Amino acid sequence: MSEKTMEEKVEQATNSKNVSLPMSRVRLIMKSSPDVSCINQDALFLTTKATELFVQHLALSSYKNGSGKETNTLSYSDLANAAEETETFQFLTDILPKKILARDYLKSLEEMKKDDDSL
Amino acid sequence: MDGDGSTTDASQLGITGEYMAGSHFVLAQAPEGDEGLNDHEDGNGSKDNLREQDIYLPIANVARIMKNAIPQTGKIAKDAKECVQECVSEFISFITSEPLKLYLQKFREAMKGEKGISGVTVTEGMGEELTEETFTNPLPAGIITADGQQQNVMVYTTSYQQIPGVQQLQFS
Repeated sequence: MSEKTMEEKVEQATNSKNVSLPMSRVRLIMKSSPDVSCINQDALFLTTKATELFVQHLALSSYKNGSGKETNTLSYSDLANAAEETETFQFLTDILPKKILARDYLKSLEEMKKDDDSL
Repeated sequence: MDGDGSTTDASQLGITGEYMAGSHFVLAQAPEGDEGLNDHEDGNGSKDNLREQDIYLPIANVARIMKNAIPQTGKIAKDAKECVQECVSEFISFITSEPLKLYLQKFREAMKGEKGISGVTVTEGMGEELTEETFTNPLPAGIITADGQQQNVMVYTTSYQQIPGVQQLQFS
């Protein structure tokens, strides 16, 4: 059994002509965009491959940036932090909001109401 | 369809009648690509009835790719996996819509150069790019190719009408 380093594994996955994501599902998601009718096979493969690389990139960046040293676990907050800090992940900020406690949220709601009342 | 592959029948084009009324148009159909217009997939006609598993990629695949990316001893929280699943769908939609906008822009510029086809343009149905010289007849040309080649169905209209509240065309 050959031992592969992490870099070798990532490089191999990057350069291989295989994709590990189902292309039919990717096509479905692409079709959900407006104005899209036909999708070229090459474009579909390219999108699938790019998505794979995106997952690797996101996972690795979040893990490195986050609490990897202590807990050795990739958590949601790592992802939320990466979305906010890294420029390339900024399009994810809407779907990766940082979590706040419910009572903090209610407190800020009340403060906003007070501001409105005082206007 | 007629013998030469062209039609003006609204139902065959999948366009509602109100866009067709009062216009003269010609349909030229390029040879079908791999996908064709008549996919036999489930949920093709009604985009609203997609199940949750349809809009996301399978979590097992996503988790496997994530695991291969981080160092061997790392673990991944379950909610992190689920949320990456959503991010992935967002990513696909994002990179699908961006090249399409560029393509439509180039297409619009190319069409302006054509002689004898005045008043033909493309609207993306979002309203933000409508200028004084565009007309409200939409010109659907929704394709994506890696090399920018045109393989699509196009409807030309040579007269224009103001159609209030025009929405974007949906080809299913």
